[in-house]
Amino acid sequence: MENTAAALWQKTARTRIKTDRSWGEKAFLLFMYAFIILFSLVCVVPFWIVLANSFTSEANFLKYGYQLFPNEWSLDAYNYLLHGGQFLTSYSNSLLVTVIGTVLSVVITAMFAYVLAHPKVKYRRILAFLTYLAMVLGGGLVGFYIMVANWLHLKDSLWVLILPYLLNPFYAFILVAFYKSLPYEINEAATIDGAGDMYLFYRIIVPISTPVIATVSLFYAIQYWNDWYLALLFIDNYKLHPLQLMIRQLMSNLNVASYVGGGASYRVAAPTSAIQLATVCLTIGPIVLLYPFLQKYFVKGITIGAVKG
Amino acid sequence: MGFIKEIAKHRQLYVLAVPGIVFLALFSYIPMFGHLIAFERFQPVKGVWGSKWVGLNNFKFFFGGHDWLRVTFNTVYLNLLFLLFGLGFAIALAIMINEVGSKIAKKLSQSFIFLPYFISWLVVSLMMLAFLSTDGIMNHWLQQAGIDAVNWYQRVQLWPFILTFVYVWKFAGYYSIIFLAAIVGISSEYYESAKIDGATRLQQMVYITIPSIRSVIVVLMLLGVGRIFFGDFGMIYGIVGDNSILYPTTDVIDTYSFRALRQLGNFGMSSAVVLYQSVMGLLAILLFNRLAQKIDPDSSLF
Repeated sequence: MENTAAALWQKTARTRIKTDRSWGEKAFLLFMYAFIILFSLVCVVPFWIVLANSFTSEANFLKYGYQLFPNEWSLDAYNYLLHGGQFLTSYSNSLLVTVIGTVLSVVITAMFAYVLAHPKVKYRRILAFLTYLAMVLGGGLVGFYIMVANWLHLKDSLWVLILPYLLNPFYAFILVAFYKSLPYEINEAATIDGAGDMYLFYRIIVPISTPVIATVSLFYAIQYWNDWYLALLFIDNYKLHPLQLMIRQLMSNLNVASYVGGGASYRVAAPTSAIQLATVCLTIGPIVLLYPFLQKYFVKGITIGAVKG
Repeated sequence: MGFIKEIAKHRQLYVLAVPGIVFLALFSYIPMFGHLIAFERFQPVKGVWGSKWVGLNNFKFFFGGHDWLRVTFNTVYLNLLFLLFGLGFAIALAIMINEVGSKIAKKLSQSFIFLPYFISWLVVSLMMLAFLSTDGIMNHWLQQAGIDAVNWYQRVQLWPFILTFVYVWKFAGYYSIIFLAAIVGISSEYYESAKIDGATRLQQMVYITIPSIRSVIVVLMLLGVGRIFFGDFGMIYGIVGDNSILYPTTDVIDTYSFRALRQLGNFGMSSAVVLYQSVMGLLAILLFNRLAQKIDPDSSLF
């Protein structure tokens, strides 16, 4: 009798612990869901605020400031922006720099990385080390500035926004890691057929590397599209401003009307704050539109980079 | 002799590397001569070799004031905050995303969290303005809660934490992808046997997940520590810009040398600051690579 009671008690106690534990587990899971949802919101809400407030009038802005849900909608800022000369100029500058820069960068990086990864190249380790060292140390701001401005005379030209970013060591190493994972037999087969190394590279290696090359291209494209450092250092001429620098100009105090209008005169006052936001919306527009695509390739690229250290 | 022979034998391959080598020479290695300017009173007209040598004058000027201490402290302190909270938060996030069962929730949250990584610091800066300006969202909320509005861009002491928050916001997605990739690679057998032994979720995280991704954490830490003397110019200058009220807590070596060059036109002093930064940076890398070999022989960088 006594024994069975004890056994029974033990049994219920055990089940109680089990349910307690699963209650705790459930609460914990709930907490994790809440945390992730909350942080996701924190990540997206600023985008919403920029978008929503870009559609308000200046009067509304002066009265209420930034709002989560503006109580008045207006296209003033977009009208103003698209009728002025500066926005289209800046947009085409950014587009040009991004397209030309990405193509050149990818070609140079893909070729360079192939040499770094090729087992027949005796000096590949030295080259890799020099590339790594360049990534870590860099040339230093002043030397770099003098090189670009005084020796290469690239100030106030669109090339200055392209050339200094042609080879990103980090992206090169992503490609090196990929090439190294290719079977060596590819080389041997081609060599037997009497193909040269260059022919082999363009005809065989490049086609099978397309997914990684696509990833690296997107890395470069985003870098060129988002950069304003080079423009800040080397571009004074408004006509050559890329979009990012246009945003910066709009944020610093200056005559928005004459900057955005590009000489055209307006009878209405410029909706200053909304213009800033509208410019930002149109600048990050392509990124948001291409986002599903970008995300997929970036995740792939980052993962390769991470695995290879 | 061997050198020429090697190049000639594989000339087709070396030719492929030529544009890259020219690039590295032009934009990384030749500019290193710029460090000489740290010992000159540089005049652009006279060039690097024609300007007057002034010995250590530029360094005396830089180390004579208090600025160097301030910018060095800010650079290191901010980078430590970014590294600690950036990685810490991303690890927590990656583990949670991994634990959440629903596939849709996983995909959706990852998409949202990764989004800020893709925008420039200038855009981030404008978003911050929407929240923190005097008539921004933050102050609206405060006023609704009956609290006085805060002039955020004047509250110097808050900025290291504001910047840390923004850093976490922008890079949590990026780092959590790296950690997730490592977590997915952990064998499920560990978790199954832990479950049989009655380990809770939390215990599994602490005793299985975190130790398994240790080497990834160490590598990222080391990469960060190696760059501890290099501030993120784009971030700091994009957000703080020329708002000198915030300099006491936000001015880093990179923004300082930038201003010396572009606003004061003082090439010598700017160059001295950059050289100081490079030397400190090199020491940091060597020191912590040594440390890495001791902690975890697999994760040393070279």
